[in-house]
Amino acid sequence: MRYVYDVVVVGAGNGGLSAASKLAQAGLKVIMLEKHNLPGGVATSLVRGRFEFEASLHELCDVGTEEQPLAVRNIFKGLGVDAPMVNEKNLFRAIVTGEDGYDVTLKAGEALFEESLEAACPGSGKSIKKLKDLLAKTREALAYNDRMNGRPNKLVMIFKYSKFLIAASHSVDEVLRSLGFSKKARSVLETYWLYLGVPADELNAFHYFQMLRGYIDSGAGVPEHKSYGLSLGLAESVLKNGGEIRYNTEVDRFLYDDDKRVIGVAAGGDEYYAKQVVSNVIPHNVFNMSERRNTAEKDRKLLNARRFGLSFVCLYVGLDRSAEELGIKDYTVFVAKKDSSRTQYDDDADLGVYVVNCLNVAVPDATPAGTCSMFFSIPVFSDKLMNGVEPENYKQFKSEIAKRYIADYEQVTGIRISDCIEEISVATPVTFARYFGSPNGTAYGYRLSRWDGLMARILSAADEFKIKGLTFCGGHTASGDGFGVSYASGLEAADRVLALLKEEGV
Amino acid sequence: MTDKKREGRRGLRLSIGNFLKILPIRKKKIEDAPDSDVRKTGSYKPNELAGIIHPGLQHLIVTQVKDLTEDVKLYRLEADRENGCERLAPFGAGSYLTFEMTVGSGRCSRPYSICSSPKDAEKGFYEIAVRRTPGGVVSNYIHENWKEGTRVTAQEPAGEFLYEPVRDAKHVICLAGGTGITPFRSMVKAVLEGSEDFRIDLIYSARKEKELLFREELDGAAGTDERISVRYVLSDEEKAGYGTGFITKDMVAQAAQDGEPYSVFICGPQKMYRYLDGELKGLDLRKKYVRRELFGEIRDLSDEEDYVRPGADEFTLTVSQNGQRTAIRCRRDESLLCAMERAGIAAPSRCRSGVCGFCHSKLVNGSCYTPAQSDFRREADRLYGYIHPCCAYPLSDLEIDVPAAGKIKI
Repeated sequence: MRYVYDVVVVGAGNGGLSAASKLAQAGLKVIMLEKHNLPGGVATSLVRGRFEFEASLHELCDVGTEEQPLAVRNIFKGLGVDAPMVNEKNLFRAIVTGEDGYDVTLKAGEALFEESLEAACPGSGKSIKKLKDLLAKTREALAYNDRMNGRPNKLVMIFKYSKFLIAASHSVDEVLRSLGFSKKARSVLETYWLYLGVPADELNAFHYFQMLRGYIDSGAGVPEHKSYGLSLGLAESVLKNGGEIRYNTEVDRFLYDDDKRVIGVAAGGDEYYAKQVVSNVIPHNVFNMSERRNTAEKDRKLLNARRFGLSFVCLYVGLDRSAEELGIKDYTVFVAKKDSSRTQYDDDADLGVYVVNCLNVAVPDATPAGTCSMFFSIPVFSDKLMNGVEPENYKQFKSEIAKRYIADYEQVTGIRISDCIEEISVATPVTFARYFGSPNGTAYGYRLSRWDGLMARILSAADEFKIKGLTFCGGHTASGDGFGVSYASGLEAADRVLALLKEEGV
Repeated sequence: MTDKKREGRRGLRLSIGNFLKILPIRKKKIEDAPDSDVRKTGSYKPNELAGIIHPGLQHLIVTQVKDLTEDVKLYRLEADRENGCERLAPFGAGSYLTFEMTVGSGRCSRPYSICSSPKDAEKGFYEIAVRRTPGGVVSNYIHENWKEGTRVTAQEPAGEFLYEPVRDAKHVICLAGGTGITPFRSMVKAVLEGSEDFRIDLIYSARKEKELLFREELDGAAGTDERISVRYVLSDEEKAGYGTGFITKDMVAQAAQDGEPYSVFICGPQKMYRYLDGELKGLDLRKKYVRRELFGEIRDLSDEEDYVRPGADEFTLTVSQNGQRTAIRCRRDESLLCAMERAGIAAPSRCRSGVCGFCHSKLVNGSCYTPAQSDFRREADRLYGYIHPCCAYPLSDLEIDVPAAGKIKI
């Protein structure tokens, strides 16, 4: 069959969903094609027995409160999606074992955050003040950049917002050192690096501080109906506004005209033509579905230069005891073997660091009474981890990795869970590769390496992937990975498409 | 200068110079990269493994048919290379295969437990046992039509009825009823062959001695491996050496004897599940220690306490698929999936028990009933009116939006 639309959105991940929702809201004839039978991509859940597990979301940054909503809540409000969420007040507990180890809990809210950091790392007061100043300057610079629609006057940036430029061109670790933080304070503050998948001495400071700021201000946002509730809500908003969604429909080819313009996509023998195509699918896969003559040398080289972000092993564990009975008090616990993110990162496949979430601490009735669920996220390098894993020993591989991390968690926290596991499911890079089709099973798009960090991407965005008729959105784009930024990237893609269509007089 | 020296007493000094280098560094990095084609997604290890473990559909060929009893046949299936299936997807003992077929004008799917072992799949074959049930559309079709050389289509192996050492007790008491022995045969073989390591005490019930499947093999396994034991229970026959009646909690308690924790795995007909629900209560087992294979489609809703029988015996079910709307009839006592299959609509399905979510569809209007024990929907699905048609029964005329069944992917 041959179909014609205003816009085709490929992939119903976070970016694709918000893009399609906004485009449908604008009254365009939109269709979203998704290879899986559910919306959301990683923003999904899985059911095992009487447990429904959150599949990927730890917490949403920048949510604000119901009364004073910030970016993420505003996105849902703007799209008319009911997205109830709670604000978890403890940012995280970080347990670092070994020499110089520590066990620190940081709290949300500016005053509480400072208090808890000072309590954990006495003498940080001065540095905290400097950090606050830097965060404020960063915010001003961004506001200015927004006012200028992303085209700031360079001289103004250099003279008025030099602090921002400095933060934006150094690593988290460099900036924290420049502010005089102690080794321990740096280590504590850098705990979140995992959420962006790049170690603190490589991670762009501006990027990291943006995220940290969001968490400090409003705490961790946790949706009441799991991230799948947000995904389905967005999908419903697409339908409600007259858009269409086709599930079980995997795009296998991007269609171009003689002018190298994307004019549609093919999926399972059907062709979907559109004035504009939005791809939530990672450029690597789009290029694999495009003929070489239609892609630009510069873009191919960019992709070949890039490295993929981290993947994960996730354990979804349903326990037949409540969190209170087990003595679990924290929503988020980071466990690390050493206190330097660089050494962790250079280690083998599994980095020696992981996060454990107990959803019931934030959303008490997330599982039936008398039970609770735990979600282990273990960042991994797919190639190293999967080395030696064959189809035949895959089941055993999953059990062994689960056993190892559960034992480690028990040893580190003194909380015993292994004898009350009622359900367990293990996801690996193979699972990510299966459901999302991402190359190397990456969960985080492209690695935010120094040369390919947030600032570098934003500054070059206008010159890369200048493919007519095609706009990318999602965690692999300029803003990097993460739920909030992916939703935002979808909206940006929609705005771009709307502007392009306007130019064309649609 | 090293960082340490630069850092001095006042902390590391940063300069704005770095900012000016961002773009040149990026440019250089890109210029230095090769202009080869972007590497194929399927060539990365996780993607390659995903393709082998989760091929979607598999084209298979029947290579052997054996009568196990008067009404049970054993089918051996191998990869149909001519149709592009290079190798069989691996599986954990206890998995099932859902077969897709066209029977008359209808399209059907049926899950069957794999009764061969994971190692057998490495060698190149799966086995399933199919009992012909009176009036059973698919089982009769298979018995009549599947011969050596018949080409068939199965989905990738699926299911959660697997031994998981992190969760289950090392000692598993397996309760099998009738053809419910099939996943346990796979587990017994897996233990013998070293793919799994746990203790199996199998209690296998059938109506009569001659209906017991794999009898010699099971006895042989129990004789050679001390981790395995087997006893039989006959409900319709009294014979020396066999238990009589149904499987009781005392039999389970007896197998448990040593006071160590044990898991109970159950596979059999729905009647057996319902009966054992009550019978095992006396043992006060934690939920985590009782695992049941898929319940299967419920054909008699009168056992469901909260089911309120609607006024009419038949309803109009409007199915919208990729924008095409078709109105069909749906009987009060059949699932929406069954009605669609009878009408020849290609709707996705897999477990047919409400668990896997493969048939996930949107209820556009009207109402339907989902039995509590088959309701494994996500919280948000209930909130937004999504259903699993394999276990949804009409309460009124209704309309549903169903995804396409998906294309064959090999």
